[in-house]
Amino acid sequence: MTRDQESGARSQESASSFQLPASNRKHSLIGTSPQRIEGRAKVTGAATYVDDMQFGPNLLHGMLKHSPIPHGIIVRIDVSKARALPGVRVVVTGEDFPGYTGLYLKDRRIFALDRVRYVGDTIAAVAADTPEIAQQAVDLIEVEFEPLPGVFDPEFGASPEAPLIHPELGNYEAVPFIFPQPGTNVSNWMKVRKGDMDKGWAEADLVYEHKYRVPHIQHVPLETHVCVAQQDVNGKITLWSSSQSPFAQRNLIAKALHISHSKLRVITPYVGGGFGCKAGVSMEGAAVALAMNAKGRPVKLRMTREEEFYTTFVRQGLVAIIKMGMTQEGRITAVHNRFYWDGGASTEYGTNITRAAGYSGTGPYYVPNIHIDSLCVYTNHPVGGAMRGFGMPEIHWGIEQHIDQMAEKLGLDPVQVRLINCLKDGDETLTGMIMHPTGLSQCIQKAAEAIGWTSPPAPLLEGEGSHKRRGKGLAAMWKAPAMPPNPGSSAIVRMNEDGTATVSIGGVDIGQGALTAMAQLAAEGLGVKIEDVRVNTVDTDYSPYEWQTVASRLTWSMGNAVLQAAENAKLQILQTVAEAWNEDINDLDIIDGQVVSYRSEESRSLRDIAVYGMQRPDGTWIGGPVLGRGNFMPEYVTPLDPETGQGPRAVVHFTTGCQAVEVEVDEETGEVQVLKIVSAYDVGRAINPDMVRTQMEGGAVQGMSTALLEGIILQNGVPRNPNFTDYRIATAVDAPLELESIIVEVPQDDGPFGARGVGEHPMVPTAPAIANAVYNAVGIRIDSMPITSEKVWRELAKTRP
Amino acid sequence: MQPFDYLIPKDHAEASALLAAGGGSVRPFMGGTDFLIRARGGFIRPQSVVDLKVLPGMREIRQSPDGWLVIGAACTMNQVAAHPLVLAGYDLLAQACNSVASYQLRNRATIGGNCCNASPAADTAPALFCLDAVAETYGPAGARRIPIADFFVGPGRSALQLGEFLTAIHLPPAPTGACGAFNKLGRTKLGDISAVSVAVYAWEHDTETPRRDWRIALGAVGPTPLRAPEAEAALAADASPQGVQRAAELTAAAARPIDDIRASAAYRRAMVAVLARRGIEAVLAGIARAGLQAVPFGGVPAGSVSPTGVLREGRPEQMIGGAA
Amino acid sequence: MNHDIHLIVNGEAYLLSVPAHHTLLQVLREQLVLTGTKNGCEAGECGACAVLVKWPGADHAEPVNSCMVLAPEADGAEIVTIEGLAHDEQLDPLQEAFITTGATQCGFCTPGILVNARALLDRTPDPSETEIREALVGNLCRCTGYVRIIDAIEMAARAGREVAR
Ligand SMILES: Cc1cc2nc3c(=O)[nH]c(=O)nc-3n(C[C@H](O)[C@H](O)[C@H](O)COP(=O)(O)OP(=O)(O)OC[C@H]3O[C@@H](n4cnc5c(N)ncnc54)[C@H](O)[C@@H]3O)c2cc1C
Ligand code: FES
Ligand code: FES
Repeated sequence: MTRDQESGARSQESASSFQLPASNRKHSLIGTSPQRIEGRAKVTGAATYVDDMQFGPNLLHGMLKHSPIPHGIIVRIDVSKARALPGVRVVVTGEDFPGYTGLYLKDRRIFALDRVRYVGDTIAAVAADTPEIAQQAVDLIEVEFEPLPGVFDPEFGASPEAPLIHPELGNYEAVPFIFPQPGTNVSNWMKVRKGDMDKGWAEADLVYEHKYRVPHIQHVPLETHVCVAQQDVNGKITLWSSSQSPFAQRNLIAKALHISHSKLRVITPYVGGGFGCKAGVSMEGAAVALAMNAKGRPVKLRMTREEEFYTTFVRQGLVAIIKMGMTQEGRITAVHNRFYWDGGASTEYGTNITRAAGYSGTGPYYVPNIHIDSLCVYTNHPVGGAMRGFGMPEIHWGIEQHIDQMAEKLGLDPVQVRLINCLKDGDETLTGMIMHPTGLSQCIQKAAEAIGWTSPPAPLLEGEGSHKRRGKGLAAMWKAPAMPPNPGSSAIVRMNEDGTATVSIGGVDIGQGALTAMAQLAAEGLGVKIEDVRVNTVDTDYSPYEWQTVASRLTWSMGNAVLQAAENAKLQILQTVAEAWNEDINDLDIIDGQVVSYRSEESRSLRDIAVYGMQRPDGTWIGGPVLGRGNFMPEYVTPLDPETGQGPRAVVHFTTGCQAVEVEVDEETGEVQVLKIVSAYDVGRAINPDMVRTQMEGGAVQGMSTALLEGIILQNGVPRNPNFTDYRIATAVDAPLELESIIVEVPQDDGPFGARGVGEHPMVPTAPAIANAVYNAVGIRIDSMPITSEKVWRELAKTRP
Repeated sequence: MQPFDYLIPKDHAEASALLAAGGGSVRPFMGGTDFLIRARGGFIRPQSVVDLKVLPGMREIRQSPDGWLVIGAACTMNQVAAHPLVLAGYDLLAQACNSVASYQLRNRATIGGNCCNASPAADTAPALFCLDAVAETYGPAGARRIPIADFFVGPGRSALQLGEFLTAIHLPPAPTGACGAFNKLGRTKLGDISAVSVAVYAWEHDTETPRRDWRIALGAVGPTPLRAPEAEAALAADASPQGVQRAAELTAAAARPIDDIRASAAYRRAMVAVLARRGIEAVLAGIARAGLQAVPFGGVPAGSVSPTGVLREGRPEQMIGGAA
Repeated sequence: MNHDIHLIVNGEAYLLSVPAHHTLLQVLREQLVLTGTKNGCEAGECGACAVLVKWPGADHAEPVNSCMVLAPEADGAEIVTIEGLAHDEQLDPLQEAFITTGATQCGFCTPGILVNARALLDRTPDPSETEIREALVGNLCRCTGYVRIIDAIEMAARAGREVAR
């Protein structure tokens, strides 16, 4: 696959006229696994994260005043005592910044103004000389509430009886593909209607409905949210932020605070994990608000681990009611799914998750008759945001268990049922999009094979006679990058005097290895060694635009931009050389930093020409500093009909895959030990196979952790476990004994070298695969996450006389 | 965290005086692993802390002339767990210490702090209950000794009076043929706070009869750690498989669990039975193995081979990791 | 309520005035600007703040979570942080192994894990996989799934044995 065959995704006409000859593509670095380019910095402690940056003794320490109640009218806020405390420099409240903000729906304020909507809602912020004084000041802020009844369940929230959490919903600004229902708590209603449901049910031999639940999950990046904001004498604000989205932050904050984009600069150094919670804006607006009143002093705002658990973003909870019809042969005839999303107090980001759940709501299967409602419901719970998988782990939890349940009831093999129904090239998806080439069947087959699907489980670790049982389970998945139709990427490749290249990008390496993958693409496109490529972290004043580091889109989208920029730089260099040497550009190439002529066999180091240009035979000069540019934006995504969800192209593409697991269940205690997880994903083309595997491994364990352990315990809206003591995540002892990762490569037509993303996907099917394996082992079905030992024990106890 | 001062006491008397004078606002401090969490969370607002680790004897483990083992209150979990005297005679305690949190936390967390914090889930407590430990304290009235069962008064409450602090844990001489097993169940497989813990301990009643005495103690299933005396007596009378099952049920009956976010009362009670049975079986197996091994090595009486040593050889991760 | 303390950190001696309620983690990060040691929870749970401490009178260093140590307590201690693991540009075999095996992703857990792993190999040069996993139980990593961290420690242990031979 070469770019010459590309499907017209380029936004720049000029770019295609700059095409290099296809013979110039050698793929020497693509598909190899160079080490992480920032590895040395990370293992020596030299890598700088926001909290590591030094701002001198002038630094002010910010702290937020959070609501202690889930829902109520703010009757009075008195900050006078806080202001009077020596060492307190700034106190701001909603009165100072009353505007609304939000990514897809503007339903959120930086500070609660008239009412609070969840425990943790930000009411005010202070900045003081020390963290201790800031804490005292926060404690001195007096707030009087008139409590309101709360909504703590999304099904109830969607009902007419529920108290309204956003009575102003009808006035909120929303993007065109979000459909708020004014006068209700439903902030988005995504519908998919297709085929004839009556016909679908009639054709089925089995129709079965079941309800599945997913709790709120926290992302748990090891580095909590942290940022520093400072305003200079010209009024320009710099925000150093641990962010997945420096440009989105600039955009949202600038708009919310009514400042020009050019007056806000966002700098993102290394980021200690994100998993979605550092996409968009959460607490950063408050830091900027403080800085705007801090007389030029920098203000740091750093979330404690407790704050991180419920005041930034959480993954939304879900109640899914899944109804499916299937024939005796295992063919799905109809699906009627209702997704009630527990969106929390604000759904500015969450609305788009519920949309993604709508257009992916059948799971990766061909279904002729479809009725899907995906409802984003306001609750008095923490604010839902993006998390690795963007709705897909949640809906697949039910869908993939449902497939197993249907198969069992019909006496069919769940792997065969998946193979029969899974989407294949040319199939029509639920929204009417034609499925592009996909390796889903391959992934299912390979995962099943690797777990030994058809062979009996291996002997117990403890030997016969123990109270343990083994079982295997499997789940498939699909996920598309969920984003607006037009998210752009851009890149700049600058040549340095020594022939090395500096790549500027606007996407963030949050650990997934973006810097390294981009270095590979740039080195490949330019013809230099990877050691000779440097990739910058983001500074919106110097880095080119990138929409957000989300949706597993960087390798694909930003990768296209980087490759284009590198090739653009190469073309500029070769044009110069061609003219200077009076040769045909088609005879020239750059190999390992040397321009070579296949015809004259001359060669010249980039060092001599990339900045200084070259001398023509007549003694004049040509060329000069080389600056390659590239950009990418999908131009083919179409809107969907609001009533039916139908449209020719809902999304750019789907990455598909499958996981198979083997577990051992202790029948006495209910403990589940995951022995092995096999992950098989169709990544299009693995730019760096080893890093693809690290994504699969990390995702599988994160998925396992959420499956077995995690969930924010909310009692009447109060988070009861906002700490690592009671929100347990998997440790090295809990991690599976064995992880196997299988890369399937069915190229993506518009991906760089055929690549598509795989960052999120590895945690999507893990939980249902484990649930299926637990069923296989001990015959009980856990339909609400997490699969705690206690739940397993309780269900097992029910089966005993 | 709000400011407080850090005081190094000259001697026991000064430490006691500082604590007494401060009311509740001057706090004892050792490893800080409980203290710092509470201070940072704003649950306590101390004026100052008194570092008791520095007092003489607080970080020592020694054998007293009468054969008791004296463990300074400020000995860390790792220090206790690795000490030869502990390993030789009180492996049950080593197992309990090793089950706490993580290696690096066990370098801070102290055995005394674990007791003084008086959490019903304190992992060393069931072992100390089984071993008939005695707490030695120092206070305005001088030193006194408190049986460990009386030291724990309620959740977060110990028998210590204002100005009084724990100085040491005393363990009676290890009886012959002693063998113990500590099992805990958490949500993660290792290092979690116990949702349930059970320590089981047995030794030879005397050298003539084959009878054994038993102790069973429970954590996290009552306002304080608990003993299960009926189960102990039943086991002494009958350690057959049926007897073991019966003892496990009696142990569960002794539990007084509550529902909380870590587990329900029902689950806790059921798990007490499971962990008790496993613990008893492990102890019986340990004793049997010790007996078996004693013969080929030249007729050494079973009791003089450290059965605890044999247990450690088994599957340490299982013993430590709880009901794995 | 400041206290004067003597510290040796990565071989350098310091005399510092520290507030009593500050932790060793704060001293390292804020006063000495040794920011390689990370703050992930300030509650002893995550291990991101782990450093090696040789207490006065002790014969070797042991890993502790520096968020669990009060600054004045550290008076007289010798401390090794992640910045002190490499010597003269020569990375510790563990550091090399972490790079080679891909055991770091976002890197935030990495300093604490490396320091803790160094202590593990110092006391157990040839650890079993179970011993490695158990030694890491107090070091949370959200990115890697731990497998490569375990591989890296095994690799470094092998390298250490080669050197010892
Ligand atoms: C991450 C983490 C995980 C944990 N996991 C476990 C676990 O698995 N199992 C478990 O049992 N515990 C666990 N704990 C709790 C804790 O580590 C133990 O209770 C520890 O043993 C306390 O000892 P310390 O020296 O740190 O106590 P400190 O925090 O110094 O003191 C504890 C309390 O006792 C008081 N005190 C201290 N010394 C004395 C004294 N000599 N006389 C009177 N009062 C005194 C203090 O004022 C304080 O209130 C965990 C803690 C953390 C932070
Ligand atoms: S920061 Fe110290 S253990 Fe998490
Ligand atoms: S590499 Fe990110 S937490 Fe471990």
